[in-house]
Amino acid sequence: MSALAAVAAWLQPALVTALAFRVAAGTPDAPWLGLAALVAPLVALLAGARPPGRNPVTAIVAAVTVSLVLAADLLVAADAATLLGAARWQGAVLVALATLAIAMWAPSRRLSPSAVAMAAVVLLLGSGAVALAAGAPWTAWHRSGVRPALTFPAQSSWVLGGQRFARATTLRFAEGQRVVTLAAGVYRVVERDAATPIVREWRLAAGDALTLRPGDELSVEAGAHVRFEAGRRVPGAPASGVAWADASARGPRMLPLALGAVVTMLGGALALVPTPRRGRAAAAGPLVLLAATSAALAWGVYAAGVPDLVLGGALPAPLLRLPTAALGAPAGVPLALLTGVALLVLLVAAAVALRERLAAAASEAPELWVAVVVAATAVAVWPLDPWRVLTLALGLAAAAWAPARIATSSAGALAGPIVGGVAFVAVAALPAVAPGAPSWLEALTGYPALVALPLGWLAARAMPPDGQRVAAGG
Amino acid sequence: MGIAALLVLLAIAPLLALAPAAPGAVRVSGVSLLWWYAALIAPLIATALAIALLVRVPE
Repeated sequence: MSALAAVAAWLQPALVTALAFRVAAGTPDAPWLGLAALVAPLVALLAGARPPGRNPVTAIVAAVTVSLVLAADLLVAADAATLLGAARWQGAVLVALATLAIAMWAPSRRLSPSAVAMAAVVLLLGSGAVALAAGAPWTAWHRSGVRPALTFPAQSSWVLGGQRFARATTLRFAEGQRVVTLAAGVYRVVERDAATPIVREWRLAAGDALTLRPGDELSVEAGAHVRFEAGRRVPGAPASGVAWADASARGPRMLPLALGAVVTMLGGALALVPTPRRGRAAAAGPLVLLAATSAALAWGVYAAGVPDLVLGGALPAPLLRLPTAALGAPAGVPLALLTGVALLVLLVAAAVALRERLAAAASEAPELWVAVVVAATAVAVWPLDPWRVLTLALGLAAAAWAPARIATSSAGALAGPIVGGVAFVAVAALPAVAPGAPSWLEALTGYPALVALPLGWLAARAMPPDGQRVAAGG
Repeated sequence: MGIAALLVLLAIAPLLALAPAAPGAVRVSGVSLLWWYAALIAPLIATALAIALLVRVPE
């Protein structure tokens, strides 16, 4: 397998858009997630040949993992539909049908590696086009990092015609704000100016207004359509440019979370990215990974200059909305269309690669692929967070698929996924089973692979190699 | 050896960000050291290292 074909399963639109989104939003983990998104597949490319570890448990884990990864991508498609004013399910179903058909089209296996390379280059050139207006990424980063406050620009679409929220969210207001609802719905306000917080629930019609005071929290449903006031602070955004650049939450307490993210990505990559053929052509794999991750970070840095881009929670907003905001409609619309097509190409190429991984671990039957795409679409219809779904998929792959691939015996290839999988599910289910779990468990419940991966790998390696067992038995 | 070097490159980013006194927050030419490292220096080194190891065909 070529290095380009090997990395296709890694470069998911959910990963690329989540990186850009998290950089734009100023999440504390964005820098090391961006680096891990590049280094994890590089480690997998260099790691020794790993057998598929084919057995019934691995087959189930592979099917669930591929379904979740695809679901994360379809959730991004659903988010994109929200940005275009369409229903979420329309975006998810339309892209699912394309994914289903193209991954089953025989020539797609031959075409997908070059398609991944082209999509990565388009994303990189797209950020280059934004650079013509916004300057080099480091200039844009510096400019964003010195802003006194992150406010709604007068020409913001949230101010002019209003926007929709991709998923249910709670907004915290640092200063007073008059919010106009543009669609009927239930809006919950928590007022925190009294000793005891007061919760008010409003059923509002289109055109009604809510007056929020500093400290108030507003909970909106997925699809809620609202308008904000120009010049006011963007609710939920960092307090200032310095807070965006240096994320005050960063500190030694975040170390378990950082470790969890890195372990999840490394283990996920070891399961999804196979060892390629070596030689001069193999250089294309790392170069395409570098282009895609650099493009994602650059888009995120530029999008940070427009702080309300990420307010609605739609992951592709930095790539699809920024061109118009930065370049104006005449140049921005074609660029947004181009980046949208590049994301779609990435998704289809990733689906082709994922189908190959599924065939190696479970079965080549078209019925299995259809079942996986249907399951992914069913998940994507709900307004879930694509990043959370993707990290769950990568965590499951790390804990219960990768152990089968490093096992030295068929017993290890069975024991590793069982132990890793059970541990993963148990830890992931903790918040639902025990809602009052202490905060120090946050790293484990956020990244269950942190515990499940070592257990799965230990179980896989603890079994004696097949040759020794035969010798012992003989 | 190559994999170990990649893992060290990866581990430095959270350490820069999370170490006491936040050395990653130091500004170099207007951008924090953490971002210079995580978005430019480490990716270039990691990619060059991976390419160097992948293009060598084992005998």
